[in-house]
This record gives sequence, structure tokens and C-alpha cells, in this order.
Amino acid sequence: MLETLLFLLVVLPILGGAACLVVPSRYLRGAVIVGTCALTAAASLSLLGYGPFSGTPETVFLIPVRGLITLLDFVLLGVILFYAFSLKNRLIQLLFGFQIVALAFFEMFMAKHTAAPTFFADTLSIVMVLVISIVGSLICIYGIPYMQAHEEHLHLAKTRQPRFFLFLVGFLGAMNGLVLADDITFVYFFFEITTFCSFMLIGHDQTEIAIKNATRALLLNGVGGVAFLLGMIWANSVTGSLSIQEIIAAGPAAKGLLFAVALICLAGFTKAAQLPFQSWLLGAMVAPTPVSALLHSSTMVKAGVFLVLRFSPAFAGTFLGTAIAVCGAFTFVATAALAVSQSNAKKILAYSTISNLGLMIACAGLGTPQAITAGVLLLVFHAVSKGLLFCCVGHIEQHIHSRDIEDMRGLSVTMPRAALITIIGLVTMMMPPFGVLLSKWMAIEAAADNLFVIVMLAVGSALTVLIYARWGGNMMSAPYKAQPQKAPMPLLVGLPLMAMAGGAVLLSLAAPVLYTRLVLPLVKSAPYDVAAGTLTNPVGSFLVYPLFILLGFGFFMALRAVLKSKATVLPPYFGGANLPDSTGFKGPLGAPVPYQGGNYYLTGVFGEDKLTMWINVGAGMLLAMMMGGAL
Amino acid sequence: MLKNMIQTSRLKSPWIIHFDCGSCNGCDIEVLACLTPLYDVERFGVVNVGNPKHADVLLVTGTVNHRNKHVLKNIYDQMPNPKLVIAIGACGLSGGVFREAPNVVGGVDKVIPVDVYVPGCPAKPEAIIDAVVAGLGKLAELQKQAAI
Amino acid sequence: MTAIILGIIGILLAPVLGGLIAGLDRKVTARMQSRFGPPILQPFYDVFKLFGKEPAIVNVWQVFCAYVYVASAAISVGLLFAGGDLLLLFFVQAVGAVFLVFGALAAPSPYSQVGAHRELLQILAYEPLIILVFVGFYLATGSFKVADILAHNQPLLLQMPLLFLVLGYALTIKLRKSPFDLSTSHHGHQELVKGVLIEYSGPYLALVEVAHWYETVLVLGLCALFWHTSIFGMAILLAVTYFAEVLLDNVTARMTWRWMLGYVWGIGLAMSAVNLVWISFKGA
Repeated sequence: MLETLLFLLVVLPILGGAACLVVPSRYLRGAVIVGTCALTAAASLSLLGYGPFSGTPETVFLIPVRGLITLLDFVLLGVILFYAFSLKNRLIQLLFGFQIVALAFFEMFMAKHTAAPTFFADTLSIVMVLVISIVGSLICIYGIPYMQAHEEHLHLAKTRQPRFFLFLVGFLGAMNGLVLADDITFVYFFFEITTFCSFMLIGHDQTEIAIKNATRALLLNGVGGVAFLLGMIWANSVTGSLSIQEIIAAGPAAKGLLFAVALICLAGFTKAAQLPFQSWLLGAMVAPTPVSALLHSSTMVKAGVFLVLRFSPAFAGTFLGTAIAVCGAFTFVATAALAVSQSNAKKILAYSTISNLGLMIACAGLGTPQAITAGVLLLVFHAVSKGLLFCCVGHIEQHIHSRDIEDMRGLSVTMPRAALITIIGLVTMMMPPFGVLLSKWMAIEAAADNLFVIVMLAVGSALTVLIYARWGGNMMSAPYKAQPQKAPMPLLVGLPLMAMAGGAVLLSLAAPVLYTRLVLPLVKSAPYDVAAGTLTNPVGSFLVYPLFILLGFGFFMALRAVLKSKATVLPPYFGGANLPDSTGFKGPLGAPVPYQGGNYYLTGVFGEDKLTMWINVGAGMLLAMMMGGAL
Repeated sequence: MLKNMIQTSRLKSPWIIHFDCGSCNGCDIEVLACLTPLYDVERFGVVNVGNPKHADVLLVTGTVNHRNKHVLKNIYDQMPNPKLVIAIGACGLSGGVFREAPNVVGGVDKVIPVDVYVPGCPAKPEAIIDAVVAGLGKLAELQKQAAI
Repeated sequence: MTAIILGIIGILLAPVLGGLIAGLDRKVTARMQSRFGPPILQPFYDVFKLFGKEPAIVNVWQVFCAYVYVASAAISVGLLFAGGDLLLLFFVQAVGAVFLVFGALAAPSPYSQVGAHRELLQILAYEPLIILVFVGFYLATGSFKVADILAHNQPLLLQMPLLFLVLGYALTIKLRKSPFDLSTSHHGHQELVKGVLIEYSGPYLALVEVAHWYETVLVLGLCALFWHTSIFGMAILLAVTYFAEVLLDNVTARMTWRWMLGYVWGIGLAMSAVNLVWISFKGA
């Protein structure tokens, strides 16, 4: 049973991806993708029923697993090195060349093995598997019509979709492997696959900018890979074990282990694009939107958070923990500030993703049961809402040929369904009673004892509201007396979007269940009591069900008022000098001045050019503090 | 009961908007004088809102001409019902001394229906306040007939 | 159960209180300008009149937004009276604040747009401060819950005087008083012709006004927590605070958003930090 599940979760998506390469027709390819995704998602659900486990699958297709992974690891590094040479980037050659040499040296002379199981899943892994397999699958399915339209738009002579879906679907398997493996060399292997998938997918469109940004992603993730490898070797030499569980069990008490953990967290930071490594994720937005949704917001970047969360018991109560919390909180506030000056929707989402990842990492750094709960819940809720928002932006972009939020004015009329779903996505990102805010509430209450962190969280959460509120308002706005139109929405776009929007709402409603079933087993002591759908502890209380009922009632009454409204539609006020059709006003000499809206972007205060350098300097110093503190 | 309260409140909260159709500013100054501490019309709940969508009473001063009649009409149309219009000063009533000019339409009532006329050149603040009160009386009369 | 009843009482009572406070405010303001001023019940007349006006909108979202605004403001006051979690009730209040902005942004009207953006900047200015005030409550009493704060045995003003001033900034912004009445103000004439509220009219404006009364009660309730040990002290504190707000409104000019953000964040965050450090070290 266990081996079958592991096979379905890890190997099947990779095989499915490979099958995309060979099947001849696009309909068959679509079927393969949908089938693989459905099977993976079903397997993740049955894993939920199966519960936590640990085990050592010996063989896959009669090949010993360990040998296979070691072999593939060198093959993968070799392939990346090949790309590094074809890109003629000396730094990447150096980083990956070093990794091959160091890994070979490690495997041959240094690695100490114990009999610990190679795969291990607690509820944290299961949560990750669910997110990857369900949200990930929805995004892959969304990708089928998206890529068709994308290629039609680019007028490609020969379709590049097989290659695209190889990496997109195969990535699901690698990611599942990353979160389920307990042997740190396995984790390293899957970590490198995700780097490689990301590199290939960012560069998918083969434009100059795409290749440049893919190179940057490979470079920065290569730094992460080196940090991971060094941390791994160091941890192995200190504890004599390759099992993450055993390394964590050695805890902060083991001499010198803390620095190894800090290196692995550094790798997590690069993967999660934390400051000052944020540039690769911003560049990654050139990739087709399913890639941004899947790799660069919902799942892959969460691998970084997962690593830090996974190792959090190993640094709990140390200075390293506090330093990680401060770094995360700084990323949270600084990237939220940078997002204020942006009008490019994907860039806003990218910054906001980094910001939320920072909050999760801050929670992991704080390490209290309450903070860990906040981190894990945020991880889930953020994945659903942000995946949804990215997919919405992608869909909208294919219709209006712009990803600028200024151009999204009037969408509630021109694309009513897409606009409504986007607004739901935005609301679930920033308002109670929805999950993201629930986790943010937990995070703030958990951080209240750490003054540095709490001040940054307070400012950051206000900035977040600003970013999303004006976007939502833009979506709602409409020209005077515009008649609603019907915009086409293919079934395979509509279904994933609605599933994610519904999921974001329903999962928030299920937050108390999620907490008791999946988060509680992870923490030493229960941070909250659950009664009547309310999370309570001596410090605070969050009324999940009551608020759902009350605010739900409010929303329902509002909706009823809208439906029953007999309000006259008046033209907007233009000082009385309206044009006859009220689309603008009469200017000097009666010249018509059409109405134009424009958001405040406060570039004078929050501009990227004004802030980025100082923020990077600050983040670099904090990072130095973190690494130095771990020595 | 709610209806009763609304009807009472209507008479106690006339928010005004003042539109100057090209007056010589004489009447405008008198309108503003009503808001000063000396006359203090806020005693009666009068607020000068400067936005037709929030206003109940439109005070118009000055001569209506072919250029500004569109603006006058637009502002009147943007006021939700029930609403009152008060024409102030000789010009507002009939065009005043400018009534024969080629570009002049005439009084305010050539463009929109007027409820109360305040004569004078300029009209006195007391007369303007009295006009608002008279307008409210008209509103009360309409309410009695259950027209609104 | 008592909590639920208290919450319901709060929801029913708050609009009455809020309206009376607004009436008193107008009266005091008038006296400061050596006028007689409207009757105390004037705000109620205004709101009832507005309910009786013809409903008129520019964009149908405005209806939705006005209702959500009033609903969330009422729920947040209910949570305050029920002794709920401060952060939670503040976030619930923020739902309404954001929906007010949504509605204003939905209308294709220049004044409304500029007003909405200024309103967002006002939210941006006060939100961190209020969260830090709550953190101060937590550090001083060990809980974010109003019920537990009320059980604390000494007036918090003594421990958190700077945070009280910080809350004062938030209060001034939230009450739409000068120098922070950028997005809209209670005075008849202003540069944006009612800014964020311009396209809400008739019954929808009435809903927005009622929601504003709820918010007034909410922020004044937060102020009252600083001297919760005696009803008398609470009353004095509120009276003095509100009088100061009215005075400030009458003696200051409206400033720009840039000034507001710099000033409120600069001084507000600094004062909060100082006060928080001092509570946490004294407590430890």
C-alpha cells in the first residue's frame, strides 16, 4: 500500500510528464495530463486517510532506490552543468561543478549511514503533498487550454507543449518526493530537480529576457544548492546520520550542528526567494502563467518554507531561530512595501508571494506551537488563494493582452465571471473570516513578544491591504452605464478557477478541522482549544464559524440588496459639465475630456528604484547576522 | 412609524447645493452669509454640501444662458428625489437686467421646475432662509397629500 | 451566553450612541465657531431623511459595498461589547473599511477615485498603530481579549500613556478630523466634494453614516479600555479625548497624505516602540 502510494505520488507524475513528450496528439496529451493529475490527487487524498508513516522502499522497477537516486543525482547535476556551459555562465559552472565534486567526495568518502527509514511523512508532509497534488493538479489542468492559447498567440510553427508539460507535470512528482523523503541526500536530489524544472520552465519561451531570467534563477538557486549540500555534509559529519529526523533529534544541543541547520535554512531562503535573493522570482514572472502559479507561488517556493519549518525543532529557542524570524519579518514588510509601487499584476503577486513566504519563515523562526500553527495554515491557505489569483491573471491577460491592473478597470463588465472569481481570490487573501487572515492573526499574536518582529508585521499587514484593495476596486469599476458582456471561459479554465475559489472559501471554513487534524500532531503542546468552531487560547480567540455565519449573513443581505435594488443609475459627478453620454466632461472651450482613472502608486516613497538597494543591504546584514549567530 | 420619522426628518435636514449661473456674485455672497455665525442656518439642519447627489435643495443664483443651462440641468438631474429648487435674485427669477441679451435664456424656470422664487437684487439672507422654510412647507404639503 | 447578549446590546446601542456623539460634536463645533448649532438629534434627522431619498447609484457594486460596510462595522462593535479578541474585531472592521473603498473605486468618478486612494492611505497610516496599541494591551495584561483586559486591576493609561497618544492619531484619522480628513470630512465644503463618499447617495449614504457611528463607538471603546477600572474615569477620559479631537479639528488645517504618512508613521511608530519596550522590560 505504502509503496504504491509513494509510487503514485512521486514516480507517476514524472512518468506522466514523460508520456507528454511522446503522445502524438494534443487531445491525447490533455487526457494524459488530466489522468495523471487525477490519479496523483486521489493518491494524495488516500495518503491523508493513511496518515503519517515512515518506511524504506527498496526498489522501484526492480532497481535499488538509493543507487538510482545517487546515479540520477549525478546525471542531473551533469545536465545542469551542460546547460551552464551552453549559457557560458562561469559562475553557474563553478557552482554546479563544485556540487558534483563535493557530492562525489561526500558519497565516496564521508557519508555515514544509519538504518533510519528513507521516507518519512508526518502531517506537515501530508499537508504539503495535498497542496502539491491538488492545487498543483488544478493548475496543470488549467495549463492545457492556457498553453494552447499561449502558442496560438505566439504563432509557433511547432508546438513546444510536450516539453512544457514534461517539466510541469513531472515537477509535481519531484516536489512530492522532496516533502516525503527523509534521507537528506534524497531531499537534495529532489531539491535540485525543482531548481532544474524552474530553470527550464522560466526559459520556456526562449526569448532573450526569458533566457536571461532563467539563468539568474539557476544561479541563485545554485547558491542555495551549494548551501544545502554543505549543510548536508556538515550535518552528516556531526550527527553521523543522513536522516533528517535523526538530525533534528540531535537538536540544538549537538555541537556545531546549528551552523549546518543555518546553511540548510539559507538554501530554503534562496528557494523561497527571500531577501536579498528575491530577484530570481521577480524575473521568473516572464514564464507562462501556469508556471508562475504552480512553481513560483503555490508549491516550489514553499519547498524553502518547508525546509525551514521542518528544521525548526533543531533551532527552537536559539538565537538562530530569532534571527530567522527577524529575516522573515523583514522580507514580509519590505516586499510588501515594494509591491505598493507596482501596477503589473504578476509582479504584485510575485512580491506578495515573497512577502507571505517571509511571514511563514518568520513563524518557523519563532518556533512556538502557536507560530508553527500559523506558518503551516498560512502555507495551505496562501497556496490556494495565490494559485487562484495567478490563474485569474493569466486568464485575464489572454483576453485583454495586458497584465497591468490599470487595464483591469471595467472587467466586472467585460469579463464578469473572471472578475468575480478574482475578487473572491483577493478577498480571501486579505479579509476575515478567511484562512490567510486567520493565519496572519495567529502570526501577529504569536509574535507579540518579539518587538522587532511585531512592528514589522504590523506595518506589513497594512501595506498588504493597500495592495489588494485598490486592485479589487479596479476590477469592480465600470464605465457609466456599460452593459455586462459575456466573455468566453473554456471549461478547463473555468473548472480549476472555480474549484480553487470554492476551495479557498471552504478550506477557510474548515480551518478548525484542518487545525485539529493536521496541525495539532505537529506541535508539542496544543496552542488553541477548539470549541464551537472557535479557536481559543488564554491570549486570544478567533471565531471561525460564528464569523462565517455573521459576515456570511452580512454578505448575503448585501447581495439581496443588490438583486432587489431598484436604484436609479445616475451619471458620475463631473462638476455638472458632463459630456452628453457622461463618459467624461467638457474641458476648456468645450473640448471633451474622457474620464480616466489612475491608482496612486506612491513611487516617490515606495518606488523600486528608491527602496531595492537599501532593502537588499539591510537584508544582507540580517542574513550575515543569522549566519554569524549560528556559528 | 418609520415613514413618519422620515417625513419629519425631511423637514429638519435640508441639505443645500448652491449653483451660480453667472451671477454678479451679489446673491452668492448673500447665500454664503446665511451660513455665517450671524445667521447660522445649521440651526435648522441646513448644510451646504456642494454635491448634487447629497443635496435636497438647489439654490440657483444668476442669469441662465445657453452655455450654463446644460450644467444647471445636469446638476438638477443628479439630485435624487425629493428635491426643491429655489431661484434667487432678479436674474434667477427672470434674467434680470440681462434678460434681453442674445445669449440669455431667461429665468431658472425656463430650464428646470422652480419651487420658490426669492426676489431682490441682491436677495437678503433673511429672504433666502425664508424661502428654504417656504420650500419645506411645500414639501410638508406634498407629504400630507401622500405624493411622496 | 452573557457575551452574546452583551454583543447584541452593543450592536443595538452603538448607533444611538454614535449618533448622539455626532450630534454633540456638531453642537460643540458650532459653539467653538460662536454659532448656535443644530439640535443634538440632527444626525438622526439627516440619516432618516437620507433613508427616505430616492436610491441612486453609479455602479451596482456600491449597494453591495455599503451593506458590507455597515454589517462589518456592526459585527466589530458587537465583538467589542462581547469581550472578543481585539485584533479580530479590528480585522472585521477593516473588511468594512476596505469595502467602502471598493465601492468608491467602482464609480468612474474622479473625486471618488482620489478620495478612495486617500482613504486607503489613511488606512495604511492608522492600521499599524492600532495593531501596536493592541500589542501594548497584550504586553500589559497578557491577553488580546477585551474580557481579560477588563479584568485587569489598574488603569492602563499609567502603563501606556504614549500608546494612548498613538491611538489618538488613529482616532483622529478614523473620526475624519483635521488635519487628517483627506479623503472626506464632515464639513460641508471640501476640496474633493466629499471624496470617497461622493457617489454614495440617499439610503446608501445613510448606511455609510450609520457604519461611521459604529466605528466611532468602536474607537472610543478602545480609548475607554485605557481607564476601565472606573466608569467615572472612563467617562472623563472619553470626554476629554473627544473634546480634544473637536478642538483639533477646529484649529488645524487639512494636510497632504505625504505629510500624514511621514508624520503618523514616524512619530506614531517611534512612540509605540518606546512604550512597548518600556512595558515589556518593566513587566519582565
